[in-house]
Amino acid sequence: MREAFVIALAAIGLAFSLSGAVGILRMPDVYSRIQCSSKTITMGALPALVALVVGRGVLTPFGGRALLVAVLLLVVNPASSHALARAAYKAGVPMWPGAVRDDPKTPRRQATHDGENGEQGEGAR
Amino acid sequence: MTSVFLAVTVAEVAIAALLVIRLAAGPTISDRIVALNTISTQAALAVLFFGAYTDRYIYIDPALWLASFSYLGTIVWARYLERGLL
Repeated sequence: MREAFVIALAAIGLAFSLSGAVGILRMPDVYSRIQCSSKTITMGALPALVALVVGRGVLTPFGGRALLVAVLLLVVNPASSHALARAAYKAGVPMWPGAVRDDPKTPRRQATHDGENGEQGEGAR
Repeated sequence: MTSVFLAVTVAEVAIAALLVIRLAAGPTISDRIVALNTISTQAALAVLFFGAYTDRYIYIDPALWLASFSYLGTIVWARYLERGLL
């Protein structure tokens, strides 16, 4: 029973990791690849680590460290993905030519549909 | 159950080897950073699962190190892209 859970969670994690890796290889754009990378970590690494926790138990050394790594990745990965996307945009990495929206580039009145929401885009630009 | 851990280790290494293609052929620096970040996460998982397979505790620390310092590396590279050297 427990082994079935471990195998199922590890299979989910590996399937998502593989699909994320294929996405990183085949996506046309840096920003799309960042999205694939963060999906790889969130949906791919976390079920695998939960599989390790289930297989070894929470209070064992490997299970506890796997839980610690999982919490660390869950906290840290959105921040690093966001910083990397922002840095790539500021460094002038071009988007895919088929992209339909470039929100930081368009004027604020057109980018936001209501007026009061437009103030928060100023600092990030 | 240990054979499951070994299978996960091998699969993670294979996925990391797949990502090396993007690391080598990425058109911009950002592509390479994305690939490197993902590779280091997969490496942390592979090391942790290999440690669980062999049941040796010495593999725990490199996994934690890789998982935490890949974040620092990404942040440093992002700062470099944004502002240049310092």
